[in-house]
Amino acid sequence: MTWGPSLQGIDRRLVQNFEWPLLGLVLGVSLVGVVNLISASPEAADGGIPATAWRQLTWLGIGGVAMLAVVIPDYRTLERFALPFYGLCVALLALALIAGPVINGSQRWLILGPVRIQPSELCKLALILLLARALQRRAGSPALDLRELALPGLLVAIPCVLVLRQPDLGTTLLLALVAGTFVLFSRVKVRLLAGLAAAGIGSVGLAWFYYLHDYQKERLLTFLEPERDPLGSAYHAIQSQIAVGSGGMFGRGFLRGPQSQLDFLPEQQTDFVFSVLGEEWGFFGAALVLLLYLAILVRGLMIARASKDAFGAYVALGVVSLFFWGGAINVGMVLGSLPVVGVPLPFLSYGGSSLLTCLLGAGLLMNISMRRYVF
Amino acid sequence: MNQLSGSRVVEPYLERRIVLAVLVVIAVWLLLIARLFYLQVVEGDRYRVSSERNSVRTHRVIASRGIILDRTGKILTDSRPSFEVLLVPSDSGNLDRTLERVAALVELDAEQVRERVGVPSGRARFQPLRVARELDRRQLARVETRLWALPGVLTQVSPVREYPFAESAAHVLGWLGEISPRELESGDYQGYRRGDSVGKGGVERLLDRELRGRDGGKNVLVDAHGRELERLDAVESQPGKNVVLTLDHRLQAVALDGFAATGRNGALVALDPRNGEVLALLSRPSFDPNSFAAGLDQEAWARLLADPDKPLHDRALQGQYPPGSTYKVVTALAGLEKQVIRPGFEVDCGGSYRLGRRRYRCWKRHGHGRVDLHRALVESCDVFFYQVGQAVGVDVLAYYARALGFGSPTGIDVGREAAGLVPTRAWKQRRFGEKWIEGETLSVAIGQGFNLWTPLQLASAYGAIGNGGTRYRPYVVKKLTDANGVQLQQNEPEVLAEVAISAKSLAEVRSGLRGVVHEPHGTGWVMRGLPGGVEAAGKTGTAQVVSLAKHPERDEEKIPVALRDHAWFVTYAPADAPRIVVAVLLEHGGHGGSAAAPIARRVVQTFLENEASDLGSVVAGN
Repeated sequence: MTWGPSLQGIDRRLVQNFEWPLLGLVLGVSLVGVVNLISASPEAADGGIPATAWRQLTWLGIGGVAMLAVVIPDYRTLERFALPFYGLCVALLALALIAGPVINGSQRWLILGPVRIQPSELCKLALILLLARALQRRAGSPALDLRELALPGLLVAIPCVLVLRQPDLGTTLLLALVAGTFVLFSRVKVRLLAGLAAAGIGSVGLAWFYYLHDYQKERLLTFLEPERDPLGSAYHAIQSQIAVGSGGMFGRGFLRGPQSQLDFLPEQQTDFVFSVLGEEWGFFGAALVLLLYLAILVRGLMIARASKDAFGAYVALGVVSLFFWGGAINVGMVLGSLPVVGVPLPFLSYGGSSLLTCLLGAGLLMNISMRRYVF
Repeated sequence: MNQLSGSRVVEPYLERRIVLAVLVVIAVWLLLIARLFYLQVVEGDRYRVSSERNSVRTHRVIASRGIILDRTGKILTDSRPSFEVLLVPSDSGNLDRTLERVAALVELDAEQVRERVGVPSGRARFQPLRVARELDRRQLARVETRLWALPGVLTQVSPVREYPFAESAAHVLGWLGEISPRELESGDYQGYRRGDSVGKGGVERLLDRELRGRDGGKNVLVDAHGRELERLDAVESQPGKNVVLTLDHRLQAVALDGFAATGRNGALVALDPRNGEVLALLSRPSFDPNSFAAGLDQEAWARLLADPDKPLHDRALQGQYPPGSTYKVVTALAGLEKQVIRPGFEVDCGGSYRLGRRRYRCWKRHGHGRVDLHRALVESCDVFFYQVGQAVGVDVLAYYARALGFGSPTGIDVGREAAGLVPTRAWKQRRFGEKWIEGETLSVAIGQGFNLWTPLQLASAYGAIGNGGTRYRPYVVKKLTDANGVQLQQNEPEVLAEVAISAKSLAEVRSGLRGVVHEPHGTGWVMRGLPGGVEAAGKTGTAQVVSLAKHPERDEEKIPVALRDHAWFVTYAPADAPRIVVAVLLEHGGHGGSAAAPIARRVVQTFLENEASDLGSVVAGN
């Protein structure tokens, strides 16, 4: 173990280079999320702080400590844990499918005493570390060909299939998009890229016929043609747009949104949490949160660019892509620009595993940022 | 901000792509913000018109719940419209004054209404609260014409469940109630919301999803007083499916009359032994699901639960009673199959049987004399079955009891069911840690002792004996239709097992059961003289509440009701190819033949008469 040197390395330069801006942004957005959950919880009507908001705050505390803990060891030592961590996550995914409880028709969780964890969340980080490790090993060598993509492709496919079986289309999509982003940032022949795109479209076709549930197909079809089924699938979208739209320029004010509208939004604490934000805080509030979120993304990309080694750059890019795709898909869905896919909004949606994963990811970014001079 | 652009380590191509990524990310976010601006600032006015307090409301349109019909098309459960007055507190201005006015219009006590509504706060202020329900037309008209002066008040039609056959079929049909937090969290009620009505028992619960249909909704623009200005969009509700049961309301009614005449509690099950269809299912005492439909208050619910007669308990499916002499078919079949009873096998009944130092009495004090199996069944001679039971042993008895379906649920589709109890040596060891005593085998052989079974199990088992050994799964739901009566789905009969007993043994027992009705000294003589010359078969039974020895009083009338025996009667007809089997249990009904059999007879007779007239009308219709 090489904790020793890293710990010593903390002393001055690390403290001087501490990544304050990202820490501030991440904590700020997460706290907005907690406050917003007070509005989004059905118990809010009874006064007091609802249990969901308390739980989220607790997870924010736990995740915050975990985030700072991730900062301590030099990220380069993490490279060696990438493979075992990946193995552990795949094993937990398999375990959830075998022994996990069925909740709302899917098997996504493992029960550990009082907490329910979602291994697919941690799997996102495992995949990022693994792919970053794979790409940095061949940094400097010529462009990738198909043969070299085969093994990483397989390593991505395993958790994707497991998550799809849960079934959790949103998370599968996210894993695939993060993996795809890595391809974009690697040196790849243009012809190969085109081929991969074709294969991707082909697999969407396969998924349509073999994997997608009827309700999922219905959602996609409804997105293409909203009049198809205004009750079932489009209802989420319509309701969400009405909520956001009625927020207007300045919003209805904290706890003052006529939430009766959102009675038709069963996921208002998780996937549709942003529509609550839009309704109560209006364009000013929602746009401000989006700008803060954008700042996290840009700061993350700057950290990637400044990284002293390829591994750090790739890890940072992976984490940013995770935040980017999660944020873009979720907000796009809430605003009716994208089909309804069950993807939580990083930092803002209710869910311990999701928040923890986001904070750990932010911790990785901070870790890389702080060591840009330490070599 | 500290400098992030240090010396170059990252490969140039990667750097170029990162710069590109920054641009892409910013572009995407600008698009999102533009979309947000469009929705909230440009389009926002569509939802937020001139007045600050105007707003968009989503009103649910509750789907009409499917109806439940019997096999003849008679409506057992229906929904009728009920007019209610709702109030949105945030729109009402002076809440107290509005409530007072509404209360006066619908003739309710203002104080009571205010108490029920309470002081809504937070989100509850935006949600419609129910002020009054079940308005008559006059009250409705009074409210409707004064809506302009009642800010925040709206009227609505909501369906209320009606159960015209409440008395006779409450347990099968079930009732509706508000979904509980436990049910919501259980995961079985996906898509349900707080405040939804769900089936709480019987068919209403089993087929809730089919019956409820899909709610619709409409988004309306309302003014400061909650009045609808414009309908923005709407989704039609889809009515629920109708459920057709195998029950026959005429048999239910006759059974109910029969029980009413005795004034006793108990249960009745009638099955079609050719397929397992449940023709009648009755449990007494009952409750009134109509009173639940309007929302049962805590007090009434507590009273129901505390009632010593346990009206919510479905005795037909969950009541477990000692089988009494109805058990003797098991002992007879065990004896026949194990060749204890061979041609010429007879027992001399002197009124009692001695085992060790104890004497086991026959119900007939002076004995039956020499009896063979046929006479023993006809006259229900205890001593005969003591001897057969002792010869085969309790575990063999248990084997044949299980073969007929006792000791485990029959698998009926609706309702919760008890398993009954079939004792064995191993069971006693497990349960009490004690060895089996030989004398207990004698008690078991005549249906007393540890044996327990349900009326449904009894009907199902005798149906199997009557039809030649096929056990069907009893079922109540015949088919589902859409709101127009077009069939969507039909339940088919399901064979559970072919009973592992030879046809010859079954035939011998059937002959004895026919004798019970039609031969001299038979205990089931009440079943004689059915319409069309149909012959029946059957068996009486008396389940001891207190053993004979403890209560030497032979004159039934002098025993207190609570200590009197339970009366069983089970019958099927026609005896050679049964089309109906009926089991009746009368709690504290005294001796089987006397009290329970007349009820069964009325059901069988009605069944046969209906068959004839239904056939007649079909022929006439042609």
